[in-house]
Amino acid sequence: MRYVDEFRDGELAQKLAREIETLVEPGREVKIMEVCGGHTHAIYKHGVEHLVPTEVDFVHGPGCPVCVIPMGRVDDAIALAERPDVVFATFGDMMRVPGGRGSLLEAKARDADVRMVYSPLDALELARQNPDREVVFFAIGFETTAPATALTLLRARAEGVRNFSAFCNHVTIGPPLRAILDSPGLRLDAFIAPGHVSTVIGTRPYEFIVDEYDKPVVVTAFEPLDILQAVMMLLRQLREGRCEVENQYTRVVRRDGNPRALAALEETMELRDTFEWRGLGWIGHSALKLRPEFADWDAEARFELPGDRVEDPKACQCGEVLIGAIKPWECRVFGTACTPERPIGTCMVSSEGACAAYYNYGRLARPRDTVPA
Amino acid sequence: MSLDSERCVTCSDDAVAATVVAVEGTNATVEADGRRERVGIELVEPVAPGDVLLCHAGIALEKLP
Repeated sequence: MRYVDEFRDGELAQKLAREIETLVEPGREVKIMEVCGGHTHAIYKHGVEHLVPTEVDFVHGPGCPVCVIPMGRVDDAIALAERPDVVFATFGDMMRVPGGRGSLLEAKARDADVRMVYSPLDALELARQNPDREVVFFAIGFETTAPATALTLLRARAEGVRNFSAFCNHVTIGPPLRAILDSPGLRLDAFIAPGHVSTVIGTRPYEFIVDEYDKPVVVTAFEPLDILQAVMMLLRQLREGRCEVENQYTRVVRRDGNPRALAALEETMELRDTFEWRGLGWIGHSALKLRPEFADWDAEARFELPGDRVEDPKACQCGEVLIGAIKPWECRVFGTACTPERPIGTCMVSSEGACAAYYNYGRLARPRDTVPA
Repeated sequence: MSLDSERCVTCSDDAVAATVVAVEGTNATVEADGRRERVGIELVEPVAPGDVLLCHAGIALEKLP
């Protein structure tokens, strides 16, 4: 398959692995945060962590939108879904995310009209097909997903579809990275930045990591060879004393991103003053809301929401997993009380969540690590 | 994008390369691995059959070289 097979070549992978081997100093650990859940998933699915020396430690970052949504926003979504006049459209991954009042799946079992969609454009189609109902789309995701919502809002306005609205929870990748870099005691040496977010925003938004924090960054794609090459590029930077934002994904990503996608975002959305992230707390200018010009399509403007803040379950250590302070299996409920079938924390819900990736692919610990009895 | 069902669609970095089969106004039918889907193409126009698009959540984000 074009664009896949050439990035999964076993011989090339071994060659890259040997090259990586020459770039590490024996015994000196290099901590690399892969920001994006898609990378976490790929690393464990393809066993990339076994192709690199034990000195290279992957730290899993906050780039899974399902994992970072606070429980209070899930409760708001459930309140919307339970309105008798509402058809609530959501990506399937959000259905099982637990809020303080259960999940959307449980709300659906109680007769709420919750529908799974693959695209906000599908939700807009639902609105066209159900003119006597209010269709609310649960808009969630980083800058890769936000343009789909933006485009849908622009189409809704152009076509005068008035029974469609978005419950906007889109987030931005830069501010949480700064929050992680500012966390006391956290040691990270380098970053693997998300390839498809960067398709939209470009590589420029990562330059502060290099300029202000002296950490090398490589933007990369999702195939095993892409990730191995990114590791090699980061190790080379460290070895040569360079600190740059490098782009491994030049076949898609440009420094300035996709100007049309950014223009669509700019036209429809603006930054919130602050937004709560699960595990990271409140982060300024880290999320998007609809512009006042789109109030007619803004579920937050059109419907009354509880807006309550809900504390995360005490047993859950998603917050520490999300900043890379502990590995998933070090969480006290990992694989026992918390499993993909009955998740307590969000990291276990999404297949891109660090805990689910470890659980599903049977990765518990690398040889040097210890697994609690 | 549902073309790769193994991944989480909300993942902001889950986009799939798919080939344009037909173009109809601001939408295109794309195919990846034998599966077809309709995507919005406003962000990458102009698009022609045979072009390879990076698709996510029902829209094309970029045209691949």
